[in-house]
This record gives sequence, C-alpha cells and structure tokens, in this order.
Amino acid sequence: MTFELNILGNGEGSCCSSDAGSGQCETSGSCGCSDQLDEDSRRSFLRKATTTTIGAFSLSVLPMAPDAGEQAQKEINGHSSGGAKGASPNEDVLYGFLVDTSKCIGAGKCLTACREENNVPEGYARTWVERFVHFKDGTVQVDLVPETGFTEEDASLIDREQVDRAYFVPKLCNQCEEAPCNQVCPVHASYTSPEGVELVDGDRCIGCAYCVQACPYGVRFMNPDTGNADKCTWCYHRITRDEKPACVEACPVDARVFGRLDDPNSEISRRLSAVPTSVLKEHLGTHPKLFYIGNSEEVI
Amino acid sequence: MNLRRLFSRDTRHLRIVVFLIVVGGAGAMFVRSQLIPPDFGERGPYRAAALDEEAAHPLILQSDATCVKCHMDVHEERAESPHKAVRCLHCHGNGREHIAAAMAAEDSPDSVIPPAEEWDGDFQTGIDLFITQDRATCLACHLSVVGTPESFRSINVSEHLEEQGADEIESPNVCYECHDGHSPGL
Repeated sequence: MTFELNILGNGEGSCCSSDAGSGQCETSGSCGCSDQLDEDSRRSFLRKATTTTIGAFSLSVLPMAPDAGEQAQKEINGHSSGGAKGASPNEDVLYGFLVDTSKCIGAGKCLTACREENNVPEGYARTWVERFVHFKDGTVQVDLVPETGFTEEDASLIDREQVDRAYFVPKLCNQCEEAPCNQVCPVHASYTSPEGVELVDGDRCIGCAYCVQACPYGVRFMNPDTGNADKCTWCYHRITRDEKPACVEACPVDARVFGRLDDPNSEISRRLSAVPTSVLKEHLGTHPKLFYIGNSEEVI
Repeated sequence: MNLRRLFSRDTRHLRIVVFLIVVGGAGAMFVRSQLIPPDFGERGPYRAAALDEEAAHPLILQSDATCVKCHMDVHEERAESPHKAVRCLHCHGNGREHIAAAMAAEDSPDSVIPPAEEWDGDFQTGIDLFITQDRATCLACHLSVVGTPESFRSINVSEHLEEQGADEIESPNVCYECHDGHSPGL
C-alpha cells in the first residue's frame, strides 16, 4: 500500500478507499489525492496530448509552398517583363569591382556621374573619394575630394614640404558576401540579388536605420527624400543591361574597374589573379567583393 | 477520454491555455498573411518584384556614342589624342535636355535644337550642357595637388604658364592659347 498524502486533512485516506470514498471524489471533484482510475486516465491524456502537440508542431514547420498556378504565372510575367525592362536576374553571374588607387587622380568625375545617374540628394553620397596625406612627422590626414575636382585655391592649402606621400582612395559599397546590413534588417528590405549585389527594397524599408549602423564601411545613409535607407547599388539598373556603373563609365583614368568574377577571362578576373589585392576591414569577415590595388595598411 | 472531465472545473486552466494558443496562432497567421507580400520568398528572402523595380530604373548617363551620332567630327579629332579616355560629359555636362531636343529633331525636322548660347550649364554646377574653355575644366583633372600620382600629367599652374610663356596668365581661357580640348597634344 503506497503512502497517501492527504492535503486537506479531512480524514486519513477517506477518498482513497475503493467503495464510498471514490464516489465522494467524483462528486466533489477535489480530494487532494487520486486513485488508480484517475492515474490511468491522466496518463493516457498526457500521452495523447503530447503526441498531438508534437504532431501539430511538425506540421507547422513545413515550408509553405505557394500555389503552383500562381507561381507559373509569375514566371511567365518575369520573363516577358525582363525583356522590356532589362535582363532578368541571373544566378550564375557574380559581379566584382576593382579600384586601383595608384591611378586615381582625384578628378571627382565619378562623383558627379553617380549623383546624376542615381539622383542622390545633396549632402549625401553613394560614392566618395578620400585623400590620405602622410606627413613626414608621422601624422596622417584624411580629407575628401570635392565633387567638381580640386580648384587652384585648394592646391596650395597643404604644404608640400611636409608631405611624405599622398594618394586617393575611391570608396563605395563593398557588396559584402556576408553583409551585416542584410542580417540586421527587421523587415527584409535589405537583400542580396542573385548576382550578389546588395539592394534595398524601398517599399518595405521602415526607416529604422539599423542597417546604417550595421555597415562597417559607412556606405549607407538615410535618404531624406524617400525616408528609406540608400546606398550604392553598383548601378544595378545599368549592369543588368551590360552597361558599366556610372562611376566606372566616368573615370577618365580607368581607376575603377567593374566586371564579372564568375568569368575567368574578364578583365577583373585577370587583374585580380595578376597582382596582390586587398579589401577593407578584412578582419570583420564580411568578404567584400570590392578589391583594391595599391592600398597601404593605413586605409580602413 | 471522459468528456465530462474534460470540461469540468479541474481542466479550466488547461482550456484557457489551449484557447489562447489557438486564437493567438490564428490571429498571428492572419496578421502574417496581411503583412507579408505575396511574392516574398520566390527568389529569396525578399519581395521578388523589388528586384525588377531596381533593374527598371532609367539610364541617365549618356555614353559618348550618343553624342557621336551627330558630332562625328569631334570623334575623329579625339581618336588619336590622349583625351579619347575622357568622356564628352566630363567637359560638357550630361546634356539630357539637349539630347532630348536632338532626338526630337531627328524624328520631326520642324523641331529646333536650341543653339549653344542658350545652354545655361556650368561646369561647377554640373547642370546639363555647356561649351567651356574655362581653365577650371582643365584643372579639375590636370591641377597638381597633394595626392596626384606621378604617372599622370599634372601641372603647377603658375610654373607651367611661366615656362610656356603664356600671354594672359589671369585669363580663364589661358589653356586654349596652346591647347585644344579635343586634341590637347602639341
């Protein structure tokens, strides 16, 4: 006989006897102890409940397949509109960008080209060119190339006697393979195209600016006109029509090179395999697709 | 299963929880269906139509090929010069309105292309089209500043003008005393 625990203290084991006691439990509904019949039904209930819960949970994690007919219609639409609007997205293509800092002359043509092509608001930039000036006393000064290039007044601002070396570094979106911006977007407005270009869906963006914080390269900004996050897209609308991005088109000295990384015969692939290249902030593990030739370690 | 026991006071707390889960789940599914766009997930974790919208943006920048259609003579001038790497728009601006007028004139001979004097573009503002012999246009690339690579032909203005014996050193068109913008070599 097992030890009966009688919580209510209404007599020892009164409702745990087989005859009148169990009847009492049935009617009053609470005795503080249970008999064998209740144990069995409780066990069977738990068994059934657990099975049902696990079964329902397994069903809920099945992927929701879109309606097959709908999907076929969308594919047809995608192909026909692809011809009218531009090349349809292609998963086999992988784009890359190469910047040769030893060639950049700080003309600023790329900056005006980008601003015109992408309607970038004043005060913001999708691409910019930094100038690194290493002085003989060891300090490094970093400033920006003006959009219309340097003027005669600018030429005499820095004392050349004090300068050890100086160079220009064009910067734009690195289109990282492991993009932090996409990871933090709460509404999936920031995404990667099949060609590896990070884009922003203006309709979905809620303007929280989390992606602006997340980008380690500072290429994103909040567009005041649209209220959405904005950034360099490598002129996605141009590259999908076999044109070059506006800044690449505009550069008079070929400091910017754009091409397909998946094609081993493209200019960019050949140049990447010919000389050592670097990326910015490699230690962060973002795997950028923007490569630099000629960057010294001070460039971050 | 004893149906009476299921709906007795003993199981009330369980029924409340089950009810909340079912109602909450159904409510969440409904909200999801309203908030998530229908083409989400077709190409990846984003609204599939956004990709087409991005690719459909119009092309603004004009390549040299557009200008050369009418200005073939300039193209021939520049063919051998080091300035063939320079785009037309670098010195003359993008010229959207001019190109639109020219395209219209191509279709209907009646429409007139506004003459050069009416262009209000300016190099510094980067607006539309302009003819410029202003030294600022040349110096935007060829001025030697801290950072200009040695491999590029750049000048210190006063030194260069003195060496070359320019007449009007202060004139905005001083470069054109010796150089032509399309074929600058001497």
